[in-house]
Amino acid sequence: MKKHLKPSDMAMSADCLCPIESGDLSPLPFPYEDFNSRTISPLNPEKVKNLETSLDNTLAVGIPKPASKEEEEVLIRQFLCGLKKLFEKENNWTFLQQLLLSMEHCAKCQTCSEACPVYEMSGKKDIYRPMFRAEVLRRIYNKYLKPGGKITARLTGGIDLNWTTVARLAELSYRCTLCRRCAMACPIGVDNGLITHEIRKLFSQEMGISPKELHEKGTIQHLRVGSSTGMNPLGAKDSIEFIQEEMEEITGYKVEIPWDVEGADILLIHNAGEIISWPENVGAFAIIFQAAGLSWTLSSETAGYDAVNYGVWYDDVQLSRVALRHADIARRLKVKKIVVGECGHAHKALIETADRILTGEINIPRESALVTLEDIVLGGKLQLDPRRNDFPVTLHDPCNYVRLMGIVEPQRRILRKIAPRFREMTPHGVDNYCCGGGSGFAIMSGYNFAEWRNLVSSRKKFLQILNAFENESQAAPKYVCAPCSNCKGAIRDILSYYHAGERSSLYYGGLVELIVNAMESMKKPIIHFGDQPSWT
Amino acid sequence: MGFYIFSYFCAFIFLAAVACRVYRQLTLPVHLRWEIYPVQHEPTDKLVHGGSYMEDLNWWEKKLKSSLFNELKYMAPEILLLRGLWKENRSLWWVSFPFHFGLYLMIATFALLILHALLVLGGGEAYVAGGVIGALLGGLIVFMGWTGLILGVVGSFGTLFRRLADPALRAYSSFPDYFNILLVSFFFLSAFIACLLVDPLLIGAKAYVFGLLTGGRSLNAYAPAESVFGGAAILLASALAAYVPLTHMSHMFMKFFFYHKIKWDDAPNLRGGGIEDDILKNLRLKPTWNAKHIAADGRKSWADLASSAPKETK
Repeated sequence: MKKHLKPSDMAMSADCLCPIESGDLSPLPFPYEDFNSRTISPLNPEKVKNLETSLDNTLAVGIPKPASKEEEEVLIRQFLCGLKKLFEKENNWTFLQQLLLSMEHCAKCQTCSEACPVYEMSGKKDIYRPMFRAEVLRRIYNKYLKPGGKITARLTGGIDLNWTTVARLAELSYRCTLCRRCAMACPIGVDNGLITHEIRKLFSQEMGISPKELHEKGTIQHLRVGSSTGMNPLGAKDSIEFIQEEMEEITGYKVEIPWDVEGADILLIHNAGEIISWPENVGAFAIIFQAAGLSWTLSSETAGYDAVNYGVWYDDVQLSRVALRHADIARRLKVKKIVVGECGHAHKALIETADRILTGEINIPRESALVTLEDIVLGGKLQLDPRRNDFPVTLHDPCNYVRLMGIVEPQRRILRKIAPRFREMTPHGVDNYCCGGGSGFAIMSGYNFAEWRNLVSSRKKFLQILNAFENESQAAPKYVCAPCSNCKGAIRDILSYYHAGERSSLYYGGLVELIVNAMESMKKPIIHFGDQPSWT
Repeated sequence: MGFYIFSYFCAFIFLAAVACRVYRQLTLPVHLRWEIYPVQHEPTDKLVHGGSYMEDLNWWEKKLKSSLFNELKYMAPEILLLRGLWKENRSLWWVSFPFHFGLYLMIATFALLILHALLVLGGGEAYVAGGVIGALLGGLIVFMGWTGLILGVVGSFGTLFRRLADPALRAYSSFPDYFNILLVSFFFLSAFIACLLVDPLLIGAKAYVFGLLTGGRSLNAYAPAESVFGGAAILLASALAAYVPLTHMSHMFMKFFFYHKIKWDDAPNLRGGGIEDDILKNLRLKPTWNAKHIAADGRKSWADLASSAPKETK
């Protein structure tokens, strides 16, 4: 196996281009050294015998191998056809300027690599360099689509285009969390995260290739059934009714969650994953909004109770469809604004990215829940006792609304008021590291991909969390505040994978739980550390 | 005369290539927002932590604030001193900074040489040579020219060495990458040697630029071909001017679009605003993506597709 891989090696015949071997990964400190020799479990040969698996021994997409030479050629033609469309305004007005600039001006200085947590934590595997996949795409474009490209490729650095190259590129576009730390670090402004995003779009929009968690079970199911969780409107209402009862039982506070209130000030949309996996988050929002006397509602329309928009990671048409659905529901409810709950990518999709899709009367004002919450907490609308949160707290910054939307301080001002033992991670704010679950990874767990995520893409975040609490005893319960559903999912998985609950007493949750936990009107705490209540 | 014709030709290529690049950027459709924070035109209370107007309650009801001062405060060290590279890739900065700053000083020297030529045209050689302005200008030309050449030689050969010595850079470098650096390196080297051997006070450079503005009429009897290195420097400088906008090295000026049109483009789409007009135009475009779930047929617009539900899964 070659030690250093070049972009042209993507076409190289090999059972596995870049395996992750025992001891390759960046080391973890005490008491996690036993994970340092761990590597990704082999794929089940029976399950993957017809799939292209030769990139790095894991699978996010799982692309079937072509059955014949003819089929292979058709697929390559489709790929080139899609690549051409990325550079046409009719097909890609959405990101054409960004793509052109980044494709044409990279100085190949590798500054981006040092900023990438996946590259760093993988033990600096070449294929995970942010510019590796960008350079593969650039070379294919220059050679196969530019006039005279096959001649100039001899000078400019060619690459062979075969099915293996194409399939590996599709897989490789799902080894980047789109955190765009690389783009922030680039002295020129080249955005290799954007190029990764465009590769994903090419495969989805032209070839119908994407991870099933994002597409079939994601946006397609979201638009058809109402939620990427598979929960239909009736199921959502039932679940919320259950949450109301639970909240009263847990906190002793009776809450009424309003549905479909026409003319309410606020339409609150949660990531529906919260309803299923973290119902206390939904309940905490309801308690706070009710106690603060806000005029608000949930929507029981199809897709109106699930803020996710997986299209933002892989498909502009799906992104537009979901965003339009959300905005139109708000228009029909005649609300004054949409408030997006603790979900980072939903923030970015609906508030920022879709800002230039929504026009006229469906351009409803949209706001982050963190801003709404800051107004409540700092505006004195709740009676709070921060002593109830007397345990170490650190804050995870979701890339989507921190680095990519500039919503940095509201959550901090809240924490400074309600969590006396709050401390920052290093680095934090716009310089943060991704949780490792970004761009859909948190919900992708087919084959052995979840293990790759826990071992590689979430590793930097795990180290950051451990460092934030390094002066605390292992036995003292600690709270990682992650105000984003996908980040929370990724952090839940790393804490579980590394047995961090048992070894370091690490717990996680959202921001609203901490607020409710500090509310004087709560008879019982909403936050528990295992079986132990956070206050008595 | 051949040198002047070549320089005019290269100047024409330079202007045409820059115009093409800029025109293309200016005529691209408005895109979806893709900014990265900190956005440097935010007012100071936001900028200190990388925040945005989206941190404010009901931000759409308020007048958005923007600070040109903050933007310039960031841009000046970024452009002149490569602040970003200093922060993110210090070891590369030590060669990249002299490389870039050497080029900037060459451009500045060229601008001063044009100013000198214009003064001569306006008041005569004796007027410029005898006055305080002439002395200051002459001194500045010599200082900037020499500083730029020394930095440029160190930076360009340092950059070349770094690209060859660092396996990570070498693995991604192809012939044009080396050619680009070599072209710049040879320009700096030839100009440096020319100045060292025959033109330490840049009198020949003044004469040549005066000639450029006067259709080949030289200030004195200077002829570039009399000095091999001087001639080479003029040819390479001219070629470089024509070549840079044709390559990725155009990032020197295209960086403006990276920052102002993408990284810092946080302009919200407000009802009835100019951005909305542009979006409506985009939504009338007719895509031809082939995946079944898109259901594009070349007749349906983006607006049609976005407001429809996918019938197919794939």
